[in-house]
Amino acid sequence: MNVATLIFWPVVAVTLAGAAGAAFARNLVYAALSLGASLVGMAGLYFFLQAEYVAVIQMIVYVGGILILILFGVMFSRDILGTSTEPSIGSRILGGLASLATLAAMGRIAWNIAGTESLGLRAQRIPTADWVGQISSTSASHLGDLLMGPWLAPFLVVAVLLTVVLVAALGLVRKDAQ
Amino acid sequence: MIDLVLAGPDRLAPYLLLAAALFSLGVFACVTRRNAVGYLMGIELMLNAANLNMVAYGRFRTELLAGHAQVATLFVIALAAAEAAVALALVYAIFRNIRDVDLDKIRSLNGE
Repeated sequence: MNVATLIFWPVVAVTLAGAAGAAFARNLVYAALSLGASLVGMAGLYFFLQAEYVAVIQMIVYVGGILILILFGVMFSRDILGTSTEPSIGSRILGGLASLATLAAMGRIAWNIAGTESLGLRAQRIPTADWVGQISSTSASHLGDLLMGPWLAPFLVVAVLLTVVLVAALGLVRKDAQ
Repeated sequence: MIDLVLAGPDRLAPYLLLAAALFSLGVFACVTRRNAVGYLMGIELMLNAANLNMVAYGRFRTELLAGHAQVATLFVIALAAAEAAVALALVYAIFRNIRDVDLDKIRSLNGE
């Protein structure tokens, strides 16, 4: 067991505990802050996956942007403490069944992969940059090449979409919208 | 099982198991939450689980795929941000009409 493993499992625990808090906490503020812990843990996992650029974007967009939006949205709730909006027993059973079915389906695939990995059929590990200055295949500059190359059309579509979303969001909250 | 724990970040399976757990927690939140913002949190959890799956698969496959998987993840993050912005604008529009964001009480957008 090396240092990376010792750091890895606490990060996984934080991510999982945060997600559980976001799903189960009755107090919406606690749920939003738990979601924040989960998102930060996810950024840590991206570092383990050598996706440094994605990790940084995750911190900026998710933790810095979406989480703030959600915390802002929580203030619109009449019942932030969640006392009078308890989910009904029926929806709890339905939610439990749906989530367990999803967990079983996705977990089975992961378990099979764990089995093949234990047999020595390890997935290939991507070589990292060995010395300073060497550019790895997932560096920010390489991702930029991909964005300007094969992903150019989706990139432009997303740019248009973000403009439309900005205008649409402003239109929805306009004072004289009625 | 033990060597899975010992190998930690060098194996694909822990990421997939974690993503499965996150996705199912997101499904649970989406079904049980009556508050619109709580529902949004469930959606974000599911999107994050999908992102983690994509980056993990890319990282443990060929060198060519890793970059593409990360670019696809960046697109998902951008779309999630756009979706959160529109969702919050909708929540605000509904709140202005019925003074509440309880999904069980929302019947229309014009407050009648």
